[in-house]
Amino acid sequence: MAADVGVKNKDARNTLLGFLGIAALVLVLLFVQSLATAEDPLRGVAKFNGALTLFAIWGIAAVSLNLINGTLGILSLGHHGFMLIGGYATGLLILSEDARNRILVSGRSTMTERTLGLSVHSWFESLGLDALTTDDTLWLRYLVAIVVGGLVAAFAGLIVGIPSLRLRGDYLAIVTFGFGEIIRLSASTRLFAPLTNGALGFPGVPQRFASDQLLWPFGLLALTVFVMAKLKYSSYGRAMEAIREDEIAAEAMGINLAYHKVLGFVIAAFFAGVAGGLWVSWLGGVRLDFFLFQLTFFFLVAISVGGTGSITGVLLGTALVVFIRQYGDPLEQSYAVSTWAQLVGVVFLIAAGAVIVYRSARRVRPRVHPVVYLLGTAALVAILLGLVAPSFDFWQETFRGFGMRAIFLSVLLIVIMIFRPSGIVGRSEFSWAWVFGERRDQPTEEERAQDAWLTNPELQRRLAGDEENLHSIDGDSKGES
Amino acid sequence: MAMLEIEGVNKAFGGLQAITSLDLRVEKGEIVSVIGPNGAGKTTLFNLITGVYRPDSGNIQFQGRSIVGKKPNQIVDLGVARTFQNLRLFTNLTVLDNVLIPQHHKLNSTWFSAVLKTPAYRRKEQEMREFALEKLSFFGPRLMSFRLYQPVYVLSYANRRRTEIARAMATGAKLLLLDEPSAGMNPKETTEITQIIRRMRDEGGYTILLVEHKMNLVGEISDRVVVLDYGEKIAEGAYQQVVNDPKVIEAYLGKRVDDDEGASPEEPGLPR
Amino acid sequence: MSGSKLQSAATGRNWIPWLVIGAILLVIIGRILYLGTISERFNAAFFTRAGIESLKLGSLYALIALGYTMVYGIIRLINFAHGEVFMVGAFLTYFLFSGSPYSWPVAALYGLCIAYGFMRVLEFWRGRLTDPLVLVGGAVALLVSTLMLATLTVNLVFALIFSMLLTGVVGITIDRVAYHPLRTAPRNSLLITAIAVSFLLQNAGLLVFTNRQTPFRPDTPINNAFSFTILGGEVRTSWLIVAIPLITTVLVVVLTLFVNRTRLGKAMRATAQDAEVAQMMGVSVNRVIATTFLLGSMLAAAGGAMWGLNFGSINQPAVMGILPGIKAFAAAVIGGIGSLPGAVIGAMVIGFSENFLTAIFPRTPDFRGITEFKDTFAFLLLIFVLLVRPSGIVGEDLSEKV
Repeated sequence: MAADVGVKNKDARNTLLGFLGIAALVLVLLFVQSLATAEDPLRGVAKFNGALTLFAIWGIAAVSLNLINGTLGILSLGHHGFMLIGGYATGLLILSEDARNRILVSGRSTMTERTLGLSVHSWFESLGLDALTTDDTLWLRYLVAIVVGGLVAAFAGLIVGIPSLRLRGDYLAIVTFGFGEIIRLSASTRLFAPLTNGALGFPGVPQRFASDQLLWPFGLLALTVFVMAKLKYSSYGRAMEAIREDEIAAEAMGINLAYHKVLGFVIAAFFAGVAGGLWVSWLGGVRLDFFLFQLTFFFLVAISVGGTGSITGVLLGTALVVFIRQYGDPLEQSYAVSTWAQLVGVVFLIAAGAVIVYRSARRVRPRVHPVVYLLGTAALVAILLGLVAPSFDFWQETFRGFGMRAIFLSVLLIVIMIFRPSGIVGRSEFSWAWVFGERRDQPTEEERAQDAWLTNPELQRRLAGDEENLHSIDGDSKGES
Repeated sequence: MAMLEIEGVNKAFGGLQAITSLDLRVEKGEIVSVIGPNGAGKTTLFNLITGVYRPDSGNIQFQGRSIVGKKPNQIVDLGVARTFQNLRLFTNLTVLDNVLIPQHHKLNSTWFSAVLKTPAYRRKEQEMREFALEKLSFFGPRLMSFRLYQPVYVLSYANRRRTEIARAMATGAKLLLLDEPSAGMNPKETTEITQIIRRMRDEGGYTILLVEHKMNLVGEISDRVVVLDYGEKIAEGAYQQVVNDPKVIEAYLGKRVDDDEGASPEEPGLPR
Repeated sequence: MSGSKLQSAATGRNWIPWLVIGAILLVIIGRILYLGTISERFNAAFFTRAGIESLKLGSLYALIALGYTMVYGIIRLINFAHGEVFMVGAFLTYFLFSGSPYSWPVAALYGLCIAYGFMRVLEFWRGRLTDPLVLVGGAVALLVSTLMLATLTVNLVFALIFSMLLTGVVGITIDRVAYHPLRTAPRNSLLITAIAVSFLLQNAGLLVFTNRQTPFRPDTPINNAFSFTILGGEVRTSWLIVAIPLITTVLVVVLTLFVNRTRLGKAMRATAQDAEVAQMMGVSVNRVIATTFLLGSMLAAAGGAMWGLNFGSINQPAVMGILPGIKAFAAAVIGGIGSLPGAVIGAMVIGFSENFLTAIFPRTPDFRGITEFKDTFAFLLLIFVLLVRPSGIVGEDLSEKV
């Protein structure tokens, strides 16, 4: 009974700490928001605010993708397609009447065309959302738009989930990628142009609810994390993890593979659609090239670098990706070639050092891999050339580091895949028990003694002196040899 | 009504006839062992019963209902569970999770109430936990206390076998198909697992169909032994009777050239 | 056993493929006859042109698809980066013939990559990466490739040959750096790494090549116009309609001979069957894999160069490789991944579905045409084939066994 009370106390403590932690986070966010409205000539706070919003939006998408990739163990590469569907749906629903009229008037627009016997315009009027224009009621419109966006995406998830019943592994990954691309490529065709306005998309999506207020993105992120965490630790989450571990065994244990896989796809697609809605609102418009495969790649980096299957890890990874995207722009500016040469040299040196440290730590021989000499020499040459550069003309040319951030992310992903395939935090989640160092999977002193007795036949023989057993053991071992 | 009734089942892979018109009856509360040389079709038989393969012809009935053409998970719903010869545990999950997962198919809450943790779901979860502990306690303290929270990959081979048996029991099945439950165990552990299988029948009320190579285990607990060779049933009956059957001896050791020679078939662990 | 299995499966339903082919042919002929009646525009020349354009495109896809299928056959990896290798090949060719070579630092960076790959090749011969001869070879490769990339301007044929060699070495480098450490890793990790490599190459292409569409018009006679008449209609095209299928055929024949007739080819086939056993039988699996990447990348480079010739320009590096790459992968799967003839057949299927299908369903007064959907055909076909017959048209089943 004493143990039970201990568990209850710890639960209460964890809940309390959880609330305190969330409250502290909210306070910090509110504080930052209050700063954003103040004078900000260097736009530092605004940029930080933008990074936070991006973190929340991408966090929703990455955490939902993690349900498929991490929990269900299916590599899905079509998340940008779900986001696109949710984004377009939400965008259309929150587009103000004026903005919609402007699109209709502009001659190049294809949105005037009729499909299914009614024009898109009248269809939207009939929804009655246009009545919700005042500040008091706008939130309801946003909410409806977000939910509808999510539901439409969830329906797409249902369709994409169906091939997962027949396919496995890399084939399935390719099919999800194919679906994502089909969604993107067909959105630009005339068939869907009345809804999407072709490849041009449409501007004028209200930005307010994604950029000014952190409430929307973070509220929805909290909802996503809540649902995903509860789902993961529920019986359904365990069933999905079982599918990840071993499909055949999961089916042999009574788990309905089809249902759980499609369920995973649908839930993940719903939240991807929500993220898509926030994403178009943040960008203030809808265009096809907001939904490139690149997005899915970023989420994949977030998941794989942070920790596949761990929500904590995914959020950590998202923070990293967003940080590089928002604050990595100095990498993409023009510098003299000599500067770049020195930079490359330093990176090579660091890489060489890392290889030596890694191999020493793992006691791999030879400690200094031949490649290290190569890297080191190249680095030294580059740095030296950078130093003598003033004497040479072509070293003075400037060179723009176009795409450096993406290169950095790809290299990071490759390095993580090679050296720590489970990601930085692995599968483990943040928990207060972990903070306080309480581990349930370690034996107490008493249990350890008992365990030693159980697993050591010698000890057991001496203690128990079970003659009959001894006899049969001898007989057995003779038979085996 | 027999627990399991197999009538004239055939299964071929391309040109290879894996199972040829097999008949088998398992009564409630029996322990039946299936033995036979490597490649005799024992694991194929398990795969047929559990729905991994579909028989080419013939019928398989479980408690009077045909289970041919049903999916593996539907067959588990009906009450047949199995273990795997080469261990298919959920390696990265804890022992407790491994034993909770097979109870998922009995859960009647929706995923939504599971996310919201409704009282009904909580109660169900508590029940599942207690049921899991009950099944794990069949193996004494080996899988209890701190072991519950250890991931399977840190367990010893024998403990993994035990976890797998506990996992199969936790599905709530009435008929258990154990594919070499003592493979990789030392003699001491084999003796223990023999006792446990007997207790599973006596205390747990399970009916057990067993594939095993260790003859002392088979001899000790089987009510009946079925011998397969090249997919055909060549003998059936009590252990002593079966192992002295000349056809069985021939299947294991080949035809006797000289009648004076030839090892005694009772020798344990021979057909490895 | 497997032989009899295949046979019994074949005798069971071998009428189905013929039925499908017959139905497709019937639809095609019907459409052609129907279109001929509604407009002058749809004459024999129109369909001939569409046919040879499809053949050309199919040949280009075949060159890329062979790389996918070879790599998948040997290490069971969908080499997502193969489309980007194709892009690298195209741009290397461009910089070699266009007279606008690289700046020195970029050439040196590339030279470094190529030298590393070359040293890895030499390592197979000398056994150690630190062997003096290997080091000397690497240094020579570094100097030569840097000089070549920074100064050289050659005619198209040499540009193609050099580019094939250099791209082949780039392929080996990718394998050694990114895939080799993951040989025993789960396949999902390997695929994620391949995606990362693909992304890396796209953005590295932006960095070192260019960030805009590049004209690809070398001064060669095969770009000259060429026309002939068929059933009274004139088909205007260029010599490329002869050159591209011809070069593809030659390369495919050489590859087939290599795989079927040489020792290394035999080792490749053995590795594709079972890498572990092949290794136990004394096959150097790493050498085989390196050869696979070399050959695949060389073919992709040839494909890239001819792609540029065919369209007169190449897209910017970040997008050039994606669609051709994924379509070629679809071709490999449709044909049956792991099989060389399958890749060619699948590529032709994709080529024809993209060009010929849009030609027999053109824009008519009462129909919009399906041109704008043509990029999705490959994906739809891919999904269809994977769901209906995962082993493809000629391939064998590589799915997991219980």
